Amino acid sequence: MTRVWIDADRCTGHGRCYTLAPDVFDADEVGHSIVLVREVSGELEQHAVAGEQNCPEQAITLSQ
Amino acid sequence: MTETEGYVDQAVMGIAEPQPMYKALRESTPVFRSPQDVIVLSRLADIEMALKHTELFSSNMDAVDLGNIRPLIPLQVDPPEHAKYRRILDPLFTPREMARREPGVTELVNEMIDRFADRGECDFHEEFAVPLPCTVFLQLLGLPLEDLDKFLEWKDGVIRPEGDFSFARRHETSAPVAQQIYEYFERAIDDHIASPRDDVLSAMISANFKKEGAQPLSREELLDICFLFLIAGLDTVTDSLDCFFVYLARHPDHRHQLIEQPDILPTAIEELLRWETPVPGVARVAMQDVEVGGCPISKGERVSPLLGAANTDPAEFPDPDVVDFNRNPNRHRAFGGGPHRCLGSHLARMELRVALREFHRRIPDYEIKPGTQLTYTAALRSVESLPLIFPVPTL
Repeated sequence: MTRVWIDADRCTGHGRCYTLAPDVFDADEVGHSIVLVREVSGELEQHAVAGEQNCPEQAITLSQ
Repeated sequence: MTETEGYVDQAVMGIAEPQPMYKALRESTPVFRSPQDVIVLSRLADIEMALKHTELFSSNMDAVDLGNIRPLIPLQVDPPEHAKYRRILDPLFTPREMARREPGVTELVNEMIDRFADRGECDFHEEFAVPLPCTVFLQLLGLPLEDLDKFLEWKDGVIRPEGDFSFARRHETSAPVAQQIYEYFERAIDDHIASPRDDVLSAMISANFKKEGAQPLSREELLDICFLFLIAGLDTVTDSLDCFFVYLARHPDHRHQLIEQPDILPTAIEELLRWETPVPGVARVAMQDVEVGGCPISKGERVSPLLGAANTDPAEFPDPDVVDFNRNPNRHRAFGGGPHRCLGSHLARMELRVALREFHRRIPDYEIKPGTQLTYTAALRSVESLPLIFPVPTL
């Protein structure tokens, strides 16, 4: 399983992760990102990777 | 950090294809002192650092003068004060909130296309790229649509003032227009206090009233936000539409991709934002003596992180000169980054998505009228006129 982390101090609300991977990430009321599924594998992991790689602030970390 | 041959300050003069200049800057003088005494940053790593560290590179009133008498909110207020405003404003511009407005914008876009579809030609800039974002803005803020022409005059008056717009004289040139903008929004705020409705201005006026201990926005704060919206929300989407349609008119293979695979549209928009970077750079001012890439920058010097150069930096983007509508990942910085990340980015994306989707559904084939010389504008990358010709759609 891979764990998904968001550094709330780095996130500024670009919204790329929850747009590209809405089954892993969601938005809070100001449009900043929150993690919906903390531990991912298989297809969800691929989606989490897309979110992580497209974050302009590099606020998302995936760890084994 | 002295000479880079062929450097063009886009704040002074627009250029059609800035990408080769970005490359030359990055490769020869990534920290470049321009003839206008602005320190131009062109490496993604330096730009990212400058955007994040607002305590070193401030976005305050010394960075750019648009004739305003107080800091524009939230752009010219840095953290930590900045957070208060973004907490109020960000919820009004989330992707979800913008999706709520999408049907209205779709209707508007189709009305605009109706006006020229049967003619077989249009001036895309004049008849579509300019009025679309301005009308959306008026609707969003709940302002009368008949004020459209006034708004267009004002935003050009502060973004591209006639006469002397050197940094030293910029304030005097823009100040009279700025005064009119303040006066207009004074009346609009009065009107919205008297009769609140479902729009962004009403939401800002009532913000925080429900939360215990929180202060509502003062009248001056409301004015300073409205002023910024006028500058930030109108021209930038016009610029994006102009840049995108010039590109798509000249690259039929890319255009056909949009028509044959409509699902590609969201990633295509991200790629066009990266390649064209309609807002080519942002303005900052050094808050202390600092060194970037081995070059000293003194406190008070103006600094320009060139977003377009960041977006074509091979350190981040493999084959940066290839426009690939499937590019993934695409961590472009067309909307900046750090605390001042463009507040309206999701509004812009929604407008661009609807415009490209509806236009290509109705007018899939078009070209730039032969013989046209395109002139790109300074500051932000629009074209002065974009005549398109196309077959008249048959029913």
